[in-house]
Amino acid sequence: MMKKLLEDFKYLTYVIFHPFDGFYEVRFRGKGNLALGAIILILYGLLAIIKYQYTGFIMNNNPLFAMNSITTFIFGIFPFLLFCISNWSVTAIFEGSGKFSDIFIVLTYALFPKLVLDAVIVILSNVVTAEEATILTAISAAGSVFFAFLVFAGLCVAHEYTAGTNVAMLVATFVAAIIIIFLAILYITLIQKAVSFGYTFAAEFMKRW
Amino acid sequence: MTKRIISLVTLVLLCFTFATAYAEHTDDSSYIYDYWGSANQSLNAFELSTVINSDSVEGASIKSVDDVYVHGDRIYIADSLSNAIHVLDLDYNLVTDIKIIRDAEGKIVVDDSNNKQAILNAPEGVFANDRSLYIADTGNNRIFVLDVNAKDEEGNNTYPMTMVINKPENMVGSTEFIPSKIAVDNADRPFVVVKNSTEGIIELNTDGSFSRYFGVNSPKVSLIDFFWKSIASDEQKEKMSKIYAPAFTNVETDSDGFVYAVTTDTASEEMAFRFNAKGSNVLRKFGYSETLGDLPSASSSDESATKSTFVDVAVSDYGVYALLDTSKNRVFLYNFDGNLLTVFGGKGDTKGKFNTPSSICWMGNSLIVGDSKLACAFVFTPTDFGTLVLESEEMYFNGDFDGAAVKNKQIVNMNANYDHAYVSIGKNELMRDNYKAAMDNFRLGNDKTYYSTAFGGYRNLLIQKYFAIFAIVFLAFVVWVLWTEISYNRKQKKLEEL
Repeated sequence: MMKKLLEDFKYLTYVIFHPFDGFYEVRFRGKGNLALGAIILILYGLLAIIKYQYTGFIMNNNPLFAMNSITTFIFGIFPFLLFCISNWSVTAIFEGSGKFSDIFIVLTYALFPKLVLDAVIVILSNVVTAEEATILTAISAAGSVFFAFLVFAGLCVAHEYTAGTNVAMLVATFVAAIIIIFLAILYITLIQKAVSFGYTFAAEFMKRW
Repeated sequence: MTKRIISLVTLVLLCFTFATAYAEHTDDSSYIYDYWGSANQSLNAFELSTVINSDSVEGASIKSVDDVYVHGDRIYIADSLSNAIHVLDLDYNLVTDIKIIRDAEGKIVVDDSNNKQAILNAPEGVFANDRSLYIADTGNNRIFVLDVNAKDEEGNNTYPMTMVINKPENMVGSTEFIPSKIAVDNADRPFVVVKNSTEGIIELNTDGSFSRYFGVNSPKVSLIDFFWKSIASDEQKEKMSKIYAPAFTNVETDSDGFVYAVTTDTASEEMAFRFNAKGSNVLRKFGYSETLGDLPSASSSDESATKSTFVDVAVSDYGVYALLDTSKNRVFLYNFDGNLLTVFGGKGDTKGKFNTPSSICWMGNSLIVGDSKLACAFVFTPTDFGTLVLESEEMYFNGDFDGAAVKNKQIVNMNANYDHAYVSIGKNELMRDNYKAAMDNFRLGNDKTYYSTAFGGYRNLLIQKYFAIFAIVFLAFVVWVLWTEISYNRKQKKLEEL
C-alpha cells in the first residue's frame, strides 16, 4: 500500500511537468491514485489553517483572535469539492467522458504545486520585509496560474474535450456551482424553518398539556 | 471544609482588587478603536470639572452658548439669545458683557448707513488673538474688530472698536454675507463661515476687503445618480434636484496658519478639513481608520444616520485637535497624525452630556464645550491618564521623542488597550536601533509598515552576527555545484575514452 503510494507520488511529479502525457496515463492507464489525491486535498486544508496562523506578521491580515481552525479547514477544501461536483454534473450531461474520480484526481494532482509553493511562502513570509512581500505575492500568483493550467489540461484529457469546449464547460461549471450554492442555502433555510416550526409546536404542545 | 474556607477568602479578596487606582476619575467608560475597527474599553481621558452658566457665573445672564473662544487669560462666549459676548477670566468670573460697541473715546459707535447705534444682534461667532477680538454680528451681517489691549484707568478691558467689516464691496458670487463663525490666521486675515454657503469659506484681507472663496467641499455623488444624469435630457436635468457643495459649519486656525474646517452636512465626502494655502485638504490620516468619528457599525445599513458630523473643531498648539460631533454628541480627540486619542461626552441630560453641542475650545490642556440649548459651557479637565496622553503628544510634536516614550510606557501601564501608544514606543525604540523591542511594540500596536522597517534592521543584525554560517553554507553550495560539474565532465570523458 505504502509502496504503491510512493510510486504514484513519483508519477505525480512527472504529471506536473508533463500534464498532457501525464494525465493521459492517469486517466487511461490507471496511474492515478485516489488516496494520494485525498491526502493532497487534506494537506491543503491543513495548510489553510497553518497559513491563517503562521503567515508572517507583515503579510498576515487575519484576525488571529477570531481564528476557527475547523471553519478554516472546511472553507479551504470546500471550493475544490464544489468544483468537482459541479464539473461532474455539467460534463455528465455534455458528453464528457470523465468519471467523478477522474475529475477529483485531476483537481487534486493539479493542486500539488500550489500546495508546495504556498507552504514555502508561509515559511518565507516570516523572513521578509514589506517590500519583499510583493515577490512572495507574485510567486503565489504564479502558483495559482500553474494550478489553473494543470486543471485545464487535465480536464481536457479526462473528458476528451477540445480546448474550446473545455472553456465553455468551465463557464458552465461556474454557473452550476452558483446554482448548487443557491439550492444548498435554500434547502438549509427551509430545513431550519421546518425544524424551528416543529420545535415551537412541540414547546407549545407541552406547555398546554 | 478548609478548601471551602480558602476559596471563600480568595473570593472576598478578589472582590476588593477591583477598587483599583483610577476608579475615582471614572464616571463612565470611554472607548477607543483598534486596528480591527472594534471599540475597546479605554480609560476616561477627560472629566467634567466646571459648568459655566448663569448660575455659576455671578452677574452673567447666559441664555445660549453659540461659540466659545479662549485666548490669553480671557474666555469669550458668544450668546445669540442675549445678544452679547460674555467675557470671563480663567477663574470663571464675569469681566464684562459686550453688547454695545464703543469707540476709543468711549462713545457708542453709530452706523453711518442707517444712523443706528452699533448694538450686537444674535452674535454667533467670536475669535481673539493677541491684538484683536473678532465678533461675527450675525443678525446685522457684519463683523466687529475690537482692541483687546485697551484698558481704562482702573485696568479694566474696554474693548474699543478698531474696525467694522460690512459686506465687502468687491465680493463676488451669490453668497449672502451673513457671518456665522470666524477665525483669523497669524497674518490677520479673517476666514468667515457664512451660513449655507455653497461657495466655501470667505477669506478677507486684513483691511476687511474680499479676497477669495477658500476651500471647496466636494459633495458625494452616487453612481446611480451619475447614471441617470448621463442618460437624462436637458429638460429632465432641469427638474432634477441639484447637488450643491456642502457648506462648512465652523472654521479654526492653528498656530502654523493652517485653516481647519468642519461640516455637519452628511452629503459631504469629508467631514473635517485642514486646508493649506491653496485650499486643498491636507488633514493627515495615518490612524487605524481614515474615518473620523465613529466607525459605521455593521448592523446599521443607513450610513448617514450613524455618520459623525462635526459642528466645531479645536486645535491645540501641538496639533491635537478635538472634533465635536452632533450625531452622537461626542468629542473625538485626534493627534496631528490622525490617531484617535480618546472619546468622551454623549447625548443626555446628566452633567457632562450634551443636548445641542455648539462649540469646543482648548483652555490650556482643558477643553470647553459649549451647549446652546442648555445655555452652558462644560469645562473638561484631563484625568491622570488624559494628562499623560496630552503630554506625550506635546513632547512628540516638539521632537522630545525619548520623553514621549517614557510617557507612553506609563500610558500602556494604565491602559493596555491603548494601541497607538505601543506604536509610539516602538518608533522610539526604532530610533535607538533597538529593533527587537521596536518589533514587539509595533506588533502590539498592529503597525505593519514600521514593523517591516524594524524587522529589516533586525534581520540585518542577524545576518551580520551569523555571517560565517551564511557564508559557509553559500560556499558549500558553490563548491557542490562545481564538484558535480567536474565529476560529470570526468565521467563523460571516461565514457568517450571507452
